[in-house]
Amino acid sequence: MEKVILDVADLTTKYITRFGEDIYAVDHVSLRVEDGKSLGIAGESGCGKSTLALSLMGYYFPPLHYTGGEIIIDGHNISGMKPDDVRKSILGREIAYIPQAAMNALNPTQKIIHFIEDVVQAHDPTTSKQEIYTMAKALFESLGLPAEVLQKYPVELSGGMKQRTVIAISVILRPQVLIADEPSSALDVTSQKMVIKMLRNLMDNGYIKAMIFITHELPLLYNVTDDIMVMYAGQIVERASSKEAVFDPLHPYSKGLMGSIIVPEEGLRDVKLAAIPGVPPNLKNPPPGCRFAPRCKFARAACTAASVPLRELENGRSYRCILSEEELREAYAREDRQHGR
Amino acid sequence: MKGYRKYFLNKLLWFLVTLVAAFILNFILPRLMPGDPVAAIVSRLAQGMSNTAGIQAIYEQYAEQFGTNRPMYEQFLLYMRNVFQGDFGFSFSQYPRTVADVIRSSILWTIGLQFPAIIVGWLIGNSLGALAAYRRGSFDKVIMPISIFMSNLPAFGMAVVLLVIFGVSLRWFPTSGGYGFDLIPNFSLKFFWSVFVHYQLPFWSIVLITIGGQAIGMRSMAIYELNADYVKYSRFMGIKDRKIVRYVFRNAMLPQITGLALSVGTMVGGALVAEIIFSYPGLGSTILTAVLGQDYPLISATTLIITIMVLAANFAIEMVYGILDPRIKAAQAD
Repeated sequence: MEKVILDVADLTTKYITRFGEDIYAVDHVSLRVEDGKSLGIAGESGCGKSTLALSLMGYYFPPLHYTGGEIIIDGHNISGMKPDDVRKSILGREIAYIPQAAMNALNPTQKIIHFIEDVVQAHDPTTSKQEIYTMAKALFESLGLPAEVLQKYPVELSGGMKQRTVIAISVILRPQVLIADEPSSALDVTSQKMVIKMLRNLMDNGYIKAMIFITHELPLLYNVTDDIMVMYAGQIVERASSKEAVFDPLHPYSKGLMGSIIVPEEGLRDVKLAAIPGVPPNLKNPPPGCRFAPRCKFARAACTAASVPLRELENGRSYRCILSEEELREAYAREDRQHGR
Repeated sequence: MKGYRKYFLNKLLWFLVTLVAAFILNFILPRLMPGDPVAAIVSRLAQGMSNTAGIQAIYEQYAEQFGTNRPMYEQFLLYMRNVFQGDFGFSFSQYPRTVADVIRSSILWTIGLQFPAIIVGWLIGNSLGALAAYRRGSFDKVIMPISIFMSNLPAFGMAVVLLVIFGVSLRWFPTSGGYGFDLIPNFSLKFFWSVFVHYQLPFWSIVLITIGGQAIGMRSMAIYELNADYVKYSRFMGIKDRKIVRYVFRNAMLPQITGLALSVGTMVGGALVAEIIFSYPGLGSTILTAVLGQDYPLISATTLIITIMVLAANFAIEMVYGILDPRIKAAQAD
C-alpha cells in the first residue's frame, strides 16, 4: 500500500452564527489520500464542500470553529497546533489552497512577484529577493507560464492566466497536499481545460503529492481524480473510485446526482435527465436519522429512526444507507423497469 | 511610465479647462449682484455735500477709475490683462489699498490654517476608521456614533461649540483673531506663542469636522477590503496578519484619496466659515468684508485664489493617486 499523505479522522467543524447557533457544516468526516492520488469531493451547493476544504487546512477563524477530529499530513498531526504555528509552518508549505474565486485572489495593487516574495518570506525571511525571483521564474516556466507575468499586476492578466498564476503561486513552496476549490468553475471551457491540464501536470511531475479537488461538476472529477467522495448535508454519503462513483453509484443521493447531469460517455448517452426533488436540509436542525431521507425515493420508517453509519465494502468503497448493496441495486433495477428502460 | 504620462497630461488638461471656467465665473458672478458699489463709495464721500453736480462729478470720476462705466466684455478683457500682470486693481471697500495687498496679508493665514488642518483631520480620521474596522467590538461601537455625529455637524456649528466651551466658558483659548490685538507681528517668542494659542480653536474645529466623515468612509472601505478574497488567499498561503493589514489599508485608502480630492472644495468652504467665526485674519474674513462692501475686485480675486488653491490641491491629489494605484497606469497604457 502507498504511503498515506493526508489522513483525516472524524473531523468536525461548525459555524457559530451571530445569534449563537451552531451549524455543523463538516460532520465526522474521515478520509485518507495516498501518495500520488487525488480525491474529488462532489455535492450540491451548500453541502459543506468548501467548508471541508477550509477545515482540512487546520486554520480556523470566525465564524468557523474546530470541534474535534484529527488531521495528519505526512505523519504530522496538525489538529492540535496553535493557529499561528499552523500559519507559519503548515499553510502554503505542507498544504496549499486554490480558492474558488481566483479572479480576486490576488491583491490588485501588488505585482505578482511582490506577492510571491511575501509568501516565501512569511515562511523563511532569510530568502533573498533574487533567490525568490529565480525560483519563481523557474517554476512559472516549467508550468508553461511566461515569466513576464511576474512583473505584472493582476489587472493586466486575463481570467485564465490569473487562475493559472494563482495555482503556480500555491505550489511555490512545494506543499504535500493541494486543495483546489472549484478552480475552474468561473472560467470558459478553453481556460478550464488549461487549468485541469496544469493540475494534472502538478501531480504527474511530483510538484505535489496529493490533491483534493472540489467541484459540483461530476464529469470533471471523473476525468481528473482517482477517487470521488460525495457529500450531503455535511456528511460523507459515498466514497468510491471515480469510475464506480460515476457509472455505478450506490447511495440514492449519488445516484440522483449522477443522473441529473449530462456525461458524454458511452452508455450514458440516452439516459433521461432526472432532478432530485427538494432542497438540502437546513443544517441548523438536520433531519433525524438519514439526512437524505426526506428527499429519498426509497425512504422507509427505519431511515429516520437512528443515524445511519457508513458501510464499508471489501473493495474500499463505502456508503451511508440502511439498505444493503443488493437491496439498492434491486431497487434501482425496479425503477429502471418502471420507466421502461 | 508611458501610462502615467498620459494620465498626467489628461489631468493637466482638465485642470486648465476648469481653471478657465472658474476664472470666467469668478468675474461674472459678483457683478451680477444687485447694487452699485461706486454709488456706495460716493455716498460715503459725499456725506453732507448738497451740490448735486459735484456729487455727479465725483461719481463719474470713480466710475472711470474703476471702469464700471464700460461694457461688461470690455471690463472682462481689462480684468484678464491685469490679472495676468498680477494686478487685481484697487479694493472698493478698503480703498486706497490694492487687492493684491489685502490678499497678501491674509493668504498665508489661510494656507497655514487650512491645509495642515485638513491633512491632520484626514490622517486621524482614516487611522481611526481603519482601526475601527480592524478591531471591531467596543472600539468600533464608540468611534462610529461619534464620527457620524461629528460629520453631520456643520462647520460653523463645530466652531461655535468649541468657541463657547473652550473660549467663553473655560477661557482656555482666545475667542478671536490670529494673534493678540495688543501685539505687532514680529519674530519674538511672545508673538509666536500668541499665534499658536489663537491657532488652536480654528484648527481643531476644522480637524474634528474632517475626522468624522473620513473615519466613516475608511471604516466601510476597510471592512469591505478585509473580506476580499485576496485577504483569505493570503492567509491561506501563510502570510502574517500584519502584512495583510498593510495590503488592506493601502487598498482601502485609494477611494479615500479620491474622496479627499472630491471634498477638498467643500472642506475649504467650511474652513472659511470657521475663519469668519473666529475672526481669523485669513481669506474667509476677507471674503466676508468684501461681500458686505460689494467689493468686486476683492471678491473676484479671493474667490479666484481659493479656486486655484482647491484646483491645485485636487490636481496634486490626483497625481498621488496615479502613483499609488497601478490600475490607473495599466488602464491608460492600453
